[in-house]
Amino acid sequence: MEASFERVEGKSAQYWLLLGALAALTLPGIFSTYLMEGRGLYLSGMTNRVPWGLQIVLAVFYIGASAGSLVISSLYGVFGKKEYKPFARVAVYLALLFLVAALLSILTDLGRLDNLSSSFSHFNFLSMLSINPFLYNMYILICMVYLWAMLREKEKLVRVMALVAVLWAIAVHSGTGAIFGFVPRELYQSPLLPPSFIAAALSSGTALMILVILGLFRLTGRPLDDQLVVRLGRLLAVFVLVVACLLYIENAYRVYLAASREAGVYLLFGGFQSVVFWGGMVLLGSLVPAVILFTPRTAGQVRWIVVSSALVVFGVLCERYLIVIPGQAHPADLLPNMEITSSVWEEGVAAYSASLPEVLQAIGVVAIIGFLFVLGLRLFRLLPTEARICE
Amino acid sequence: MDRRGFLKTAGVLSAGAACAYGLPLLCAGTSSRGAPEGPPGTRKWGMVIDLTRCRPDCTACLEACRKENNVAFFGDARWDVHLIRKVKIRRTYPAVSAEKPMLLLCNQCDRPPCVQACPVKATFQREDGVVLVDQHRCIGCRYCMIACPYNARDFNFKENREWPNKDRPRSSHGVPQSCTFCVHRLDVGQEPACVAACKKVGANVLAVGDLNDPGSDVSRLIATHPVQGLREDLGTRPKVYYIGL
Repeated sequence: MEASFERVEGKSAQYWLLLGALAALTLPGIFSTYLMEGRGLYLSGMTNRVPWGLQIVLAVFYIGASAGSLVISSLYGVFGKKEYKPFARVAVYLALLFLVAALLSILTDLGRLDNLSSSFSHFNFLSMLSINPFLYNMYILICMVYLWAMLREKEKLVRVMALVAVLWAIAVHSGTGAIFGFVPRELYQSPLLPPSFIAAALSSGTALMILVILGLFRLTGRPLDDQLVVRLGRLLAVFVLVVACLLYIENAYRVYLAASREAGVYLLFGGFQSVVFWGGMVLLGSLVPAVILFTPRTAGQVRWIVVSSALVVFGVLCERYLIVIPGQAHPADLLPNMEITSSVWEEGVAAYSASLPEVLQAIGVVAIIGFLFVLGLRLFRLLPTEARICE
Repeated sequence: MDRRGFLKTAGVLSAGAACAYGLPLLCAGTSSRGAPEGPPGTRKWGMVIDLTRCRPDCTACLEACRKENNVAFFGDARWDVHLIRKVKIRRTYPAVSAEKPMLLLCNQCDRPPCVQACPVKATFQREDGVVLVDQHRCIGCRYCMIACPYNARDFNFKENREWPNKDRPRSSHGVPQSCTFCVHRLDVGQEPACVAACKKVGANVLAVGDLNDPGSDVSRLIATHPVQGLREDLGTRPKVYYIGL
């Protein structure tokens, strides 16, 4: 049986209410961005010690979610798994929107948005951050062509674009990992970051897809074969294990070597970030979902898969925080075997908490892509009439 | 998954990963940046800081720098910009109780991580080794601050209203700033503001000169004293040398 796709009608009051609410939510964010661009980033919680904050944490998360969604779509396009075809279109559209979210987060975080043209006129091919915008922009283009090919049912082009898109998604995520991994800071510097970024992308992307698909099918009253969700759950289980394994290696290595032990111990047992590490990422984000997804009784129930997906998404958010913030907050060992006893600024471990304008910006970005998503469901044939396994 | 499927997956994964950093790696491998010496006859500016002569409570260099370069100061440690930071340090291993003054500033690395990091080449290195920011090109992404292992770059979080030296530009908000060795003065044969101020109070802690000229002040100091750069193990080749660290 071939899947057929349709638009949502979008005539109900609820639909318009949802669109309106999302549009309204973008306004505080736009206003915050306007203030920050005009007056300066002192309105954020960032300081000279922690110059990258909430927007970068979220940008990295969105890029991961995007790559992950795309891989779900490729299950059909590249690996020929027909049963996932119903999700392929939504997955690509989401991948596109998540990348837009990432770009919006990065752009609103720039100190001089008015100089942005220099990033088109001057490339530094030595810089990981110069390569990435190129990767991101091309990725958006590729997703657009891929989606177009699917909407027009051009099977051959779909196959080609699916492969190109997956390759590019992996490149995008390795590149993003390298932004952090290739920097001489004790908690950043790691050749493992690119692969662990890919793994986290796969797990968070799969988990988000499960949540979005279930939400969409239930809300619009479409029949969905539970077995499909169960299969995605099995995939998620594997990804969760891979992420945990890479994290374990990275932290064990850091704590084992004398040179990086102090920084590693700071991350694992040093304060708030350790609570995020053990409580958020390890317990809630990895252990609980892994137990749920590997226990046969719970792994077969949609309810439990939804719980574990939500936990995995939360866990990956924690992981993103742990990558971006503690690596800056932990002081560089400028003067080995010496301590700085007094200074004109914050020495030692630095503090960062997001300010209200930053939070409003973040909400605004979510609202913008939410708006585009809801609108897209009405404009394009994204949703399948039903999703079943037929072998 | 069958064998074919597995091979296909593995191929896709490795090709994707290779694409991502192929270009920067290729560029880094073939880059000539960081050659120990420039072409013969060129200058390479460096600094020597003799900490044994630095007076604990003197701030002459800091004030001179702030005035010369219109450096933002709000009296709020979160947003104040410092091109030189004066701190007190104490050896902890082996433990020595005495505190001593220490000056921290941009090390003008010969292999600067900030130049490597800047996505738009707003941060660049001159032929004479000085690292500068083109603030008209900078997009304010702050990756240079992330990349600098010395925390030597400060960001202009807030618009600076003070403008004591009208001959020099004033940074707007949204761009980073670090020590320039006062190249605008070096280029016309003057010493950097901090060096001049230090000499004026008779401390003679600071010296800036041409590292490629064996007869320069800095070369002589380096030849006759045990000197040390900060975290030389990182391979950045800092060009600020400390005596008595």
